Amino acid sequence: MLACIPSATLHGVDGRSVSVEVHVSAGLPGFTVVGLPDAAVRESRDRVRAALLSSGLGWPSRRVTVNLAPSGARKTGAGLDLPIAMGLLVAGDVLPARCVERTGFVGELGLDGSLRPVPGIASLVAAIDADHIVVPAAVSAEAALVAGERVRAASTVAEVVAALQGRSPWAETAPLRVSPPERKEPDLLDVRGQLVARRALEVAAAGGHHLLFVGPPGSGKTMLATRLPGILPDLVRDESLEVLRIHSAAGASSLGAALARRPPFRAPHHGATEVAIVGGGTSWLRPGEISLAHAGVLFLDELGEFPAPVLDALRQPLEEHVIRVRRARGAIDFPARFLLVGAMNPCPCGEGGLPGACRCSDVMRRRYLRRLSAPLLDRFDLAIALGRPDVEDLLDGPPGDSSAVVAARVRRARALAQGRGVRCNSELGFDTIDGPSTLSADAAALLERRLRSGSLSARGLHRVRRVAQTIADLDGVSGVDERHVAEALQLRAARSTLMTGAGA
Amino acid sequence: MTLTEEQRFGAGLAALGASPGMLRKFLDGYRAPEAWEAIARGRHRADPERRYRDKAVPRILDTVESACARSGVSVVVFGHVHYPRALADDRQAPAVLFSTGDAAVLEGRPRVAVVGTRSATPYGLGVATELGRDLARAGVVVVSGLAVGIDAAAHAGALGVDDGAPTVGVLGTPHDGVTTRSQLALRDALGRRGAVLSEIPPGFHSARWWFAVRNRVMAALAHVVVVVECHHRGGSLHTVAAAVARGVTVTAVPGSVRSPASVGTNRLLVEGAVPVRDVDDVLTAVELCLVTRPDITPPRRPPTPPRSKGPGRREPPLSASQRRVHRALDHDPATLEAVVRRSGLSLGEVSVALEALADAGVAVGVHGRWARPSD
Repeated sequence: MLACIPSATLHGVDGRSVSVEVHVSAGLPGFTVVGLPDAAVRESRDRVRAALLSSGLGWPSRRVTVNLAPSGARKTGAGLDLPIAMGLLVAGDVLPARCVERTGFVGELGLDGSLRPVPGIASLVAAIDADHIVVPAAVSAEAALVAGERVRAASTVAEVVAALQGRSPWAETAPLRVSPPERKEPDLLDVRGQLVARRALEVAAAGGHHLLFVGPPGSGKTMLATRLPGILPDLVRDESLEVLRIHSAAGASSLGAALARRPPFRAPHHGATEVAIVGGGTSWLRPGEISLAHAGVLFLDELGEFPAPVLDALRQPLEEHVIRVRRARGAIDFPARFLLVGAMNPCPCGEGGLPGACRCSDVMRRRYLRRLSAPLLDRFDLAIALGRPDVEDLLDGPPGDSSAVVAARVRRARALAQGRGVRCNSELGFDTIDGPSTLSADAAALLERRLRSGSLSARGLHRVRRVAQTIADLDGVSGVDERHVAEALQLRAARSTLMTGAGA
Repeated sequence: MTLTEEQRFGAGLAALGASPGMLRKFLDGYRAPEAWEAIARGRHRADPERRYRDKAVPRILDTVESACARSGVSVVVFGHVHYPRALADDRQAPAVLFSTGDAAVLEGRPRVAVVGTRSATPYGLGVATELGRDLARAGVVVVSGLAVGIDAAAHAGALGVDDGAPTVGVLGTPHDGVTTRSQLALRDALGRRGAVLSEIPPGFHSARWWFAVRNRVMAALAHVVVVVECHHRGGSLHTVAAAVARGVTVTAVPGSVRSPASVGTNRLLVEGAVPVRDVDDVLTAVELCLVTRPDITPPRRPPTPPRSKGPGRREPPLSASQRRVHRALDHDPATLEAVVRRSGLSLGEVSVALEALADAGVAVGVHGRWARPSD
């Protein structure tokens, strides 16, 4: 009268294996779920009952106890409907126990007995230790990415029972699609002029350096930022899987199963809440925008308009590539390794205190800029001031290199960085970057002058050296010389707008 | 610090909320205690409708006195021997002055009011600071309004000179009506290195119109008024009007014709105000004004005129690419993008050249934009 069915629930973006134990005994008819279920799990009683009855499988009018082991951890989501139903069938002697031996189940039930997809299927099947795993047909392709041949697909609970009894074959797993080809990334060819900004994008992509655009409205900040993913290299398979797991766990998108080959681009609005951006939530802890941007680009337009707690929460993931969400009901680490692109106006009216155009008082400017904390600004290796493009450029400017050409240079530069044992230069440790060997004499002299004049801090020095290394890599030369260092210094010069706040 | 009878009742009269003109009428022909008594009994001839009778309760006298003590503010009534002579001759001089610091610094020195907009541009702030500094060096008392923007910059410039002349602030609020941290710091610094004046007793509310009204005090105190930046219909124009009415020389700092913060000043120039390029121009105006005032020490001219002579400056030796980049710069800050295009060089070359030009002092970077230094 006891059945034990392997399944899993979602914990952040990871799956956690859960053993669904169902006990059916004589006594007053009733149904109890124990083992820290959330509302969705507790409601599964009604769904399972209706699904079983409408599939003609019967409902035991006896005492039913469902335990979700380990009972100390919280269980969320409706994915436990199917395992509970299967446990009932086995414990109620509808299905012989050998049929479900070494078989795991995940899926939500409809009242008509249909199997509905659940978020995070890839993570869930990865957590189940079984020879076969039965999943809803709609997400079977996604599951197959992780579990391969072990996946069994079905679209109703009746189908599951029939297939388990050997009366009919399993449904075909849906074919896996790799990166929907119709989605075209914006191309750098569309950008006229903006030599410096294009260069900054290229350096950001090649070195993984966070980038800040400071410029008036209409200077093309957003247009430029949306072109950054297009020059990043393709995701490697591990990254693709991780991106898929995160997006699937967020319930966001790819429940149709597509393995992204291109880096994601996320541009949350500044009105988004802290939870929406860093992750969390009341019912179950969901990954936020910064995790959805994992392995891709996070673009924060109007950086100064974001609430200060959100901006401060970015500091940890920028440093550690992980966001730790701590809540009363648990703590979860979400992956969050993203390339941050910020864009902001230099002052509330956008004209940046330029005589003749700016209408902001000094106090307004200071208040606007004070929102960005220095520790956050420190994370931007690149900060450039943009002006509005010339009219001639817009109408008839020479198009620069296309994204494909730039992407090729970026790939070459990244290959050089990988030769140093890192993914990209922004991850270079102090020990690697501090070595004097690669720095030419006049480059070292320039850095020393800037250090002595106080315009460069010790931390800034390392950041400049990393960027200079990236620029040298893009040039295809091994040593860093004065040109590279000077350019690195120029490409971060706009930081001072935000550090001092005041004009003149 | 306890107040004399006259100070006590003078402060009480100021606390009744009458306009400055009314207050003068209260004291016209009365001493302060008599005036108070007459108002309280409804028999003052300046208050035939007895509008102030119910306000003149003895409690106010105590409130004002303790507020003055708390803020360290001293009181002087018009006609008293300690009343600033600089103001005594003015037809609209305040009847009662509340001050911290030493109001005697106003005597015997040339005085220049530096006024302008609160929403100043970096250009205006820079000019105001320089003027404040150079005037203080020349022994001129800088008078201003303690507001953010031009006022604060002028005061700060004057305070930055170690043994310079004192500087005087005229408040449009009570002494304890100053709230922002920067204004508080400035008020206290002025109290130590000059004086802060107000017409409103501490602890009492001011109204917006006080700011316009106090501008007449600045105009009355000044031998010359300098307007640094002023928007179309800016508040500084009140000071200008008050100065014109008193025959005080009005000068203005020219600005870009495109800058909204210079619309008011440029119009003043068109209307005949004296243009000010640097402290020299101000000192000339001051000297002209002091011809008839032997009681005032004339300003000290700096030993060498600080004005740059424009073109013909010695250029440091530059390489070919540095020269090209330098030619691509002008005095309006340009983005790196613009410099790269104008010079026709690559970003790397421009970067190296800019760093070298910055080291040579012939280019300045401001927040990622580049310009030639403004001397």
